[in-house]
Amino acid sequence: MTETITIIIDGQDYQVPRGMNLVDAAKMHGVDIPVFCHHPKLEPVGMCRMCLVELGSLAVNRETGQPERDENGQPVVRWFPKLQTACTQEASPGMAVRTDSAAVAQARYNVLEFLLTSHPLDCPICDKGGECPLQELTMAYGPGQSRFIYDDKMHLAKQIPLGDLICLDRERCIQCARCIRFCDEIVGDEVLAFHERGRRLQIITISDPPFDTKFSGNTTDICPVGALTTVDFRFGARPWELDEVASICPHCPVGCNISASTRLDRDFGGRKMIKRIMPRQNEAVNEIWICDKGRFGHHHSRSEERLTQPMIRRDEEWVPITWETAYREIAAQLARHGRESGFLAGASLSNEDLWELRKLARLTHADCSLGVWPATMGGIEQVTQVGVGVGTRLQDLGPDSAILVIASDLDEEAPIWWLQVKQAADRGAKVVAANGRATKLDQYATVALRYPYGEAVAALNSFAVIARRSNAIDEAFVAARAEGFAEFDASLKGARVPKPYAEAAQALLGAKDLVVFVGGEGVTLAQHGELMQAAANLLILTGHAGRANNGLIPVWPGANMQGALDMGFGPQATHDLIAQRPAMWIIAEADPVAEDARMAEVLVGAEFVALATQFMTPTAEKAHVLLPVQSFAEREGTFTNGLRRVQRFYMAQTPLEGTLPAWKVFAHISSSMPGGAKPRIAPGLVMRDITQHVLRYAEMSYPNLAHVEPQFPLVGGEDMYYGGTAYSNHGGLGVQWATNAEKEKYSLAVRPVDVARPRLDGLAVVPVRLLYDREPLFAPSSIMHQRVPAPYVELNVRDAEALGIAEGDAVMLTADDVQMAAEARVNSHAPAGTVLVPQRLGATPIPATLVECVVQKMEG
Amino acid sequence: MLAEKHAERIEKIFAKYPDKRSGVMALLYLAQEEYGWLSEEVLREVAELCDIDPTQVRSIAGFYTMYSEKPKGKFWLQVCTDLPCALRGADEFFSGLCAYLGLGERGGTTEDGLFTVEPVMCLAACDKAPMLQCNFHYHENLDLEKVKMLVEQWRAEAGQGDGAVG
Repeated sequence: MTETITIIIDGQDYQVPRGMNLVDAAKMHGVDIPVFCHHPKLEPVGMCRMCLVELGSLAVNRETGQPERDENGQPVVRWFPKLQTACTQEASPGMAVRTDSAAVAQARYNVLEFLLTSHPLDCPICDKGGECPLQELTMAYGPGQSRFIYDDKMHLAKQIPLGDLICLDRERCIQCARCIRFCDEIVGDEVLAFHERGRRLQIITISDPPFDTKFSGNTTDICPVGALTTVDFRFGARPWELDEVASICPHCPVGCNISASTRLDRDFGGRKMIKRIMPRQNEAVNEIWICDKGRFGHHHSRSEERLTQPMIRRDEEWVPITWETAYREIAAQLARHGRESGFLAGASLSNEDLWELRKLARLTHADCSLGVWPATMGGIEQVTQVGVGVGTRLQDLGPDSAILVIASDLDEEAPIWWLQVKQAADRGAKVVAANGRATKLDQYATVALRYPYGEAVAALNSFAVIARRSNAIDEAFVAARAEGFAEFDASLKGARVPKPYAEAAQALLGAKDLVVFVGGEGVTLAQHGELMQAAANLLILTGHAGRANNGLIPVWPGANMQGALDMGFGPQATHDLIAQRPAMWIIAEADPVAEDARMAEVLVGAEFVALATQFMTPTAEKAHVLLPVQSFAEREGTFTNGLRRVQRFYMAQTPLEGTLPAWKVFAHISSSMPGGAKPRIAPGLVMRDITQHVLRYAEMSYPNLAHVEPQFPLVGGEDMYYGGTAYSNHGGLGVQWATNAEKEKYSLAVRPVDVARPRLDGLAVVPVRLLYDREPLFAPSSIMHQRVPAPYVELNVRDAEALGIAEGDAVMLTADDVQMAAEARVNSHAPAGTVLVPQRLGATPIPATLVECVVQKMEG
Repeated sequence: MLAEKHAERIEKIFAKYPDKRSGVMALLYLAQEEYGWLSEEVLREVAELCDIDPTQVRSIAGFYTMYSEKPKGKFWLQVCTDLPCALRGADEFFSGLCAYLGLGERGGTTEDGLFTVEPVMCLAACDKAPMLQCNFHYHENLDLEKVKMLVEQWRAEAGQGDGAVG
């Protein structure tokens, strides 16, 4: 714990942490020191001079060592003769600060006059106008007039694309370097820099590609002027016209809190429309950042391609039907097929949708299988046991922490987690990045561990062997909580561990906190359960379970896979369904036909397939009834993120006419069934049902989820000059459910894992996930299309040479019954013997995980 | 390419620093010496050598005035016109030199590409003004007659073709 000391600000004593930045310390106690360049998430630079204050220290009598006092008994302060920048000062005992003196007011006035000498003052057409720190601080502290000669203003370029998403206006830039420092310090991509100096100083990039970090949009939030704007929102609306609606990003398991800025818009028929997506502060989730997929990936919610009419297939023609007819038809089919029905839920359904789907399934037959899609990752048992502790904040991981990321490319799968792990590494956390190939995390990792694909379980299990061998077992914790230790311990005894695994394991041992991210790359479903158990074994063995900042974080596919698992859906059920081939399917917000070559045939063989979907996907083409459901933006609901935090999103956009929220659709079908109850009228009531039936959701009532608490740093509103234009959180911080490790009454199971690796001869396919792909929820965001590559496969140089394939060749990949055409990329990135195949880039499904394949060059 | 032509010097430069990144300024000098000025292409070449982002290299080249991102004449004449030099007649000296070379009053590059003249901030030789620096070598206590002789001398050198300057 940092020591608390006393400093004097404007004659008042305040308790602040020793060494805290003075601007932040003052802000904590409600004292505003205006800033432009300083940002609480960045290192101080003292460039803008806006934070000048009078600084002094308490005079101490040299003989007695006691503070000197004047005749009134007040402490004597020795003031520095000149003003100091508060942002470059650390709070220390005896420090005295004056922020309200005439000298300070004059300094602020002068700095603003200087900054405005060449500012274009085009506020009436500036996107930032109305939420602009320069505007606000000028009104508060600055001059009403300029003494500067108007004709001497610098005229600079006003529309410079920094990459294809962010636009730079050089005239508005006040050279605070927040964007540069964000890229350098937080993201680690040094693609922005200053050029020239003095009055000619300006932001440049000549990087190739220019400014394409996945976090570029955040620079527009922390830019204190309108110099950086997004292509998406440029000239889109004025900030004061916008209504903010709290929401949750529907794209990945991080569950970033977002704010949808909406207004009634001509472009949307006068209805309420999302004009932009902004980050909403949740320091336990995304802090004040979001990735560009979240920021720019909202266009699907009002795409022209959306389905708005329930339809039934009659003689190979889609015929519009009413919702009532659709409900009755599906209810009748369910009654007819009974046990022969399968239910498949996508990872972007809300918890309420999932609950109503589950209720419908249970009403059909007690034994109906509840599958999830994609069915690539298992391990809900391990999450239930040792999921990361309640209260975990990844930003608190530091020098005492260790982080293991295994079988995942976090940068592509969960960018904000990547950002937080990278920053933890910067703060001194030990990071082991373990995967079958190099990922972007490697350059920040303490150890970048390469294992052959298929050997992930063995690699992770060997960490437990090393922990045992290094006496890093937490005996007390194991004795108190672990179950099955003796058998597990015996399995570790004498196991041989290759040196690289041992070195990686050593890097993690001995840390106070340990977080393990487990992904699913290059792992079969059966192996994934073992991989999760191996992670659980390690965490239990070393006592890193049951407290904040310790435990397991699964890198699920999709925004609400955790919720789907919590509601009783599972991946094994999906595989069982595919094997059983039920006569009837109800599929919700999933596109299995586009992702799995077997599924087209399975669904064609079915008698009746009902699909709840937003788009006419390949799966929709195999369905018999289509139910047009609403996107995340058009309704209320909750998602549960990978840290098991249940979070609410609210209705941001007027729903497309003819669409309904999925939960309501399922509830109506239920009510058309014998024994079905009347549908709930609001998702909050559905959640009330959930709280009564799903034990771990007992605390998840809507009022609880909407609870907010003050967070630091302050952002948005009055504080936008300080923390940026990210929105403060009024929609709710969400609630995490507690794992078994956090409840003393449960013991935690450890067991030997199956380390067998699949036998592979020849080339093996390894499906990988890319952030920017062509999944239905992302494809409609056309401004991102330049970042989505054409279908490609990555081959190792050696393999390519043997096959006579060169970079850029068109190739045909054949595996099982899959054939896919792609462009070959030849590099050392793909390990020898593997072909890396990104998912969802093309229209055809790619092969399932770790199967053998043949790659041939296509002629002509 | 620098890497082939000056492999030995580059190696020496890198040997001085704990990481390649630190060699960027020395390499920029080498590049400027080789190519005469730092085009974007050259900046990228240096970036690749130092294994840093080209944007960072351009930022450094832009900050320091001794790097030039525009083509310069073979003889790059920088005349100090700051106050102490101006008191000793540097302004007249500068405009006289420009007129002699047929350049406008703010300097520039001669049509034959031999000379670039530009005013600069303090070169720390106030007591020997008027002065100029030609390709980073000082020529002090000048007047218009002396500088005309120097110009002719440089012209003659250039005519001989070997381009040894300074």
